[in-house]
Order: sequence, then C-alpha cells, then structure tokens
Amino acid sequence: MSTELAQLLERVRALFEDVDFTAVREWKAEGADRKAVGHMPIYVPRELIHASGMLPVGVLGGGDRLEIIRGDAYFQSYICHIPRSTIEMALTGRLDALDGMLFPSICDVIRNLSGMWRLLFPDRYVRYVDVPQNFSPDVGGAFWRQELEQLLDDFAGLSGRAADQEALRRSIAVYNENRREIGALYEARSHEPWVYPASELYLVVRAGNVLPPEEHTELVRSYRQLAAAEDRHEQDLSRVVVVGTFCEQPPLGLLLTLERAGCSIVDDDLLLGQRWLTDDVSEVGDPIEALATAYLECSCQTASVYQPEGRRGAWLVESVRRNQAEGVIFCAPSFCDPALLEQPMLVDALAAAGIPHTQFKYAENTGQFAAIREQAGTFSDSIRLWSDA
Amino acid sequence: MSVNGQLLTVGVDVGSSAVKTAVVRMPASADDEILALRTDRIRRRDLRKVIDEAYPLVLSEAGIDADQVAYAASTGEGELVDFRRGHFYGMTTHARGAVFLEPRARAVLDVGALHARAMRIDARSKVLGYRMTSQCASGSGQFLENVARYLGVSLEEVGSLSCSARSPEQVSSICAVLAETDVINMVSRGIATADILKGIHQSMAGRYVKLLRAIGAGEEHVLITGGLAADTGLANAMREAAEKGGLGMTIHTHPDSIYAGALGAALWGGFRHRVLAGRAAKVTREAS
Repeated sequence: MSTELAQLLERVRALFEDVDFTAVREWKAEGADRKAVGHMPIYVPRELIHASGMLPVGVLGGGDRLEIIRGDAYFQSYICHIPRSTIEMALTGRLDALDGMLFPSICDVIRNLSGMWRLLFPDRYVRYVDVPQNFSPDVGGAFWRQELEQLLDDFAGLSGRAADQEALRRSIAVYNENRREIGALYEARSHEPWVYPASELYLVVRAGNVLPPEEHTELVRSYRQLAAAEDRHEQDLSRVVVVGTFCEQPPLGLLLTLERAGCSIVDDDLLLGQRWLTDDVSEVGDPIEALATAYLECSCQTASVYQPEGRRGAWLVESVRRNQAEGVIFCAPSFCDPALLEQPMLVDALAAAGIPHTQFKYAENTGQFAAIREQAGTFSDSIRLWSDA
Repeated sequence: MSVNGQLLTVGVDVGSSAVKTAVVRMPASADDEILALRTDRIRRRDLRKVIDEAYPLVLSEAGIDADQVAYAASTGEGELVDFRRGHFYGMTTHARGAVFLEPRARAVLDVGALHARAMRIDARSKVLGYRMTSQCASGSGQFLENVARYLGVSLEEVGSLSCSARSPEQVSSICAVLAETDVINMVSRGIATADILKGIHQSMAGRYVKLLRAIGAGEEHVLITGGLAADTGLANAMREAAEKGGLGMTIHTHPDSIYAGALGAALWGGFRHRVLAGRAAKVTREAS
C-alpha cells in the first residue's frame, strides 16, 4: 500500500475512533465566532447550516468505542442502541462542541431523544426536523419550504449571520460536488469492489460527518485515485447489497466480517444522509425552492420515509440489478422499527424477483461476529456454488 | 492457467494450529488429481509469514509455477492469504474434500483444534444440515493435545496407545476442565496411559455420535476430516459408539483427511474458475 493511501486511511480511522469530536473542536478553535450544529443520521439540509457559516456535524452514536454508563438509564431494554450512546456522549461532555442539535424524523425513538435534549440542555438550540411524508408540491412541498425557512431563521439567530441567497447557492454547489464525488466512489466500487473494500470506503465517507464538506470532497477524491493506483488483484467474492444500516451504524468489525466471509458489498444504505439526494440541487433561482424540490423529487428511498406499497421493494430490486449483485443481506440494528418492519415487504419483492437473501441483526457495539461470519460465509458460498445448480 | 481444459488450483486451509495446503490438477474429462499436500504447524509464528512461506514450497513440491495456478482459494481463517482469488467457508470446503476423498460419504465429521462439526451432505457435496459442538473445548483437538502433553506422549502415539487399551477409564464428557482434572486424578491413581486415552476417545466419540444423530445421519458412510482424522484411536471409538448407539453408519478415515478443507477449497476454486470463464466467454460471444 502506498504511503499516501496508508496515511489517508490512518486519518479517517482516527476520525472514526474519536468519540470526542476533536476535529470539530479544532475547526471551532480556528475562529472565535465559529459554531457547529450536530444532527442525527439520515437527512437534514446541511446546506443551510453551511451557508450560515457553521459546521454541520453528523452524530452517529458511540459505536463500540464508548462504554455506556449513564445512557442505559434513559431507555428501556427493548430500544435500539444509538440513543443510549448519544445520550452518554452528551452527558459526558463529548458533544459540548455542538452549539445546536437537529433530530430528523427517523422514528419515535429519535423524536423522543429530541425531547430529552430539550430537558437536559435547555440552553442549547434543539430542533426536531419533521421532513415531509407527502411528496405533493402543494402539500409536502409547501410544508417543507416553511420548515427550511424556519431553520434558516434559527441558524441566523444561532450564528449571528443571516445566509443570503448567494451564500445558499454556494453551499448548494459545495454539497452537490460532495455528493457527486461520493457517488463516483460508490460507482467505482460497484465496478471493482476489490479495489475499494467496504471497510475502507465506509471510513472515507464517514469522515464527512466531522470535516468541512470542501475538505471531505477532496479526501474522497484522493482516496478514489490512490486506491485505483494500488495493485489490488481481482477477487472472486459474492456481490451483495446490504440493507438496514441507514441509522444506527454497524461496528466496523461487522463490515470486515462480511468481507472475510467472502462477500463484496456493492451497494448499501450506510451513511445514507450523505447520499440522500440522488441528483444535483439546482444552483440557480430560489435556493429554498431548489432544496424543497430536490427533496420531493430526488430523495432516495428508505424505511423512515413513507412510500406507496411496492415502490421500496422495486427500488431494492433495481439496486440489485444496477449493481449486478447476486444477493441481499438484511443487516438491521436490533429493535430498529423502521428497518425491521419493512423487511417482510422487501423479502417478498426479492422472492418475486428470485434474488437470494439472508438476514441478521446487530447493535453498534456488537463485539462477537462468529455467528454472523458463519451465516454470511454460507450465504456467500450458496450464491457462488449453487445458484446456477 | 488452463491448458487443454486442464486446471491447476491451490487450496489453503488456515486453521488455528496449522496451515494445510493442497495443489490439485483438474483435467476437463478425467478424475481430479492431487499434486501436492503440505502441513505447516503455526507454533506461535507470524501467521502471514507461515502462509507466504508455505505457498512457494507446495508449488515447488507440485512442480509448477505460481503463474500456472488458475485459482488459489482460501478457507478457514483465510483473510491473511494475500494471493487468494476467492475464499470459501470451512463447512463448504470440508464437504467437497470429503466427497473427493470418499465418494460414498454422505456425512462428514470435521474435528479441528477448537471445535467439531457434523454435516449431512449430498452426492454433489452440498451441505444439507449441520451441528457444531458448543464453545466448550472438550470435543476438540486442542483438548486432546493438552491431555497428551499431561501424559507425556506424542500425538502420533495417541491412536495406537488407545487401541491397545484393555480397561478404558470413564472421563467427563461435559467439560474440558473437569475432564483434565479427571485425567490428573487417573494418573495419580496409577491408571494405564492407554486406558486413559481410550476413555478420552470414548468421551469424545460419544459427543460426535450425538452430533451425527442430530443431523439425521443413519446408515450413511461418514468420513472424519480435520486435524484429528489421523487419530486411529478416535476412529475406533467412533465405530464402537455408533454400534453401541444402534446407528448403522460406516465410519471412514482417509490418509489425506486432514487436507479435506484445503482440497475442497482447491476443487471449488476450479469450479468457480470454469464458471467465471464460461460467463466471460458468453459476454464476448454476445458482444461480437
């Protein structure tokens, strides 16, 4: 491995392992008036935060790098793990660098977490971002425009700097470029998954949650070029799509386990918020209108967004076809209502299309992968050795 | 890579105590043939180094060069096999290796250093069902190795000593720790080494027969694979336990049984090479 690639991977690994958000603290230390706004997984309009001169920071839980001491007291045992570790990080001062926090509408647990935030941190900006579930321009579109304008006003108050239209257009362009670069990396991975292993790609994309978007775009571009220049020989692995990982992230060890078990991940819903919009947002005209229209017309499809029956299954089948995948791995966090409730419908869609699949659950701090390795290994072998039999 | 439809493939089985390597010739219309087999004990050495050193040696023993290898496959803890093209799960490779070594086999008992696994397979070596021992080490090769060390006998002597036992001594079949305590007590009571080893084998065999019964094995031919397959004392105890349990199965071992995983990986590698070559040829035909 080249020194440059090794250094890049070492950096993104360090960013991943740092639950103290040192990179955000360092960014803020460069200017007395700098502020950062955190957000939970899935979609928030980061362009508005950026245009207001603040740093959007993705808060994806503490993973397997944080011992939960106080967080368990806030949630019942049948609730997923990400809110526990998020509360733990907040109560231990790890999120003190964040001047505000957004909670997008993923599920009831995250909505309740936003309420806890208000009670625990009454002096900090908190907002539950209720994204539209109705995709009609007159209904969901009008609602979302109002929400975006309200957010923009809030951010002006928080940062002391009102974003004008030009600033918004510049931020839209910055995030368009970031999404295009991530999209190019995903496409390259789909063609040559052995060049861009999921365990590396994941860390590179994830770094965008704590870095300014301009810097992250350069980082993704560098990784794609450096990895392509490596002498990584083609491997005969099963091409799989991983589904269910859009909110609570799996431990890195799980991604490594899938690869070691003979699977090549060619598409996934990890870190979905960074790839939420499937096309560019218009960089001309009214930027709020452009962002609202993009949400209505270019949102990807996932369990936390209402879809008429059948569309989500069709989306998954289309991903399998487009990426020439040979199977699907349903890999959902334990107690994740959105991911687990949609699974039977997706399974039906796959069965109708004759696409093999398997399923297991994880928590962000899962440490034992023997059973998953066995399941993924037998699944991979069954695809490669018996699917044509 | 492929001359006259004849493939040369390599399988590397990375176990917890040894790396087993196999080189196989796969003609298009004749039986597959073993060219070389090799075992390298890990003995606390750097695992990647053991693998990288074993590869050229086994190729040399087979009389071939690395660029003649059509497909190198790993199995077991194979992520450190940098030269691999594919990886297959251990159960899949042991099943394939078992059918290669004993074509009548419809059940396989893979006894490795850390676990034992019984599989029911079909004639194509497809795994139809399986059961494993739990995390307890009392059914494993590592346990037997520990006992042999306490008794001051080499692993190679264990089988013949066990077969010469006259009055086997019963040991715990539940827990490795208790069983080891049993062994220490037996030594202090002056029980003959052969009788202790036979008792250990009977205890292990009892567990394995339960595994085979659990997968529905009845009157099948069963092949023992994995590191303990060379232990004749264990095979004898298995036959006795099966007979005692009223199971009509025929227990087999094979001189190359410990290479079943590596052989299976090499053979599946050849299969995949042909599948991929067929797909590539189809794409080329459709494009022209």
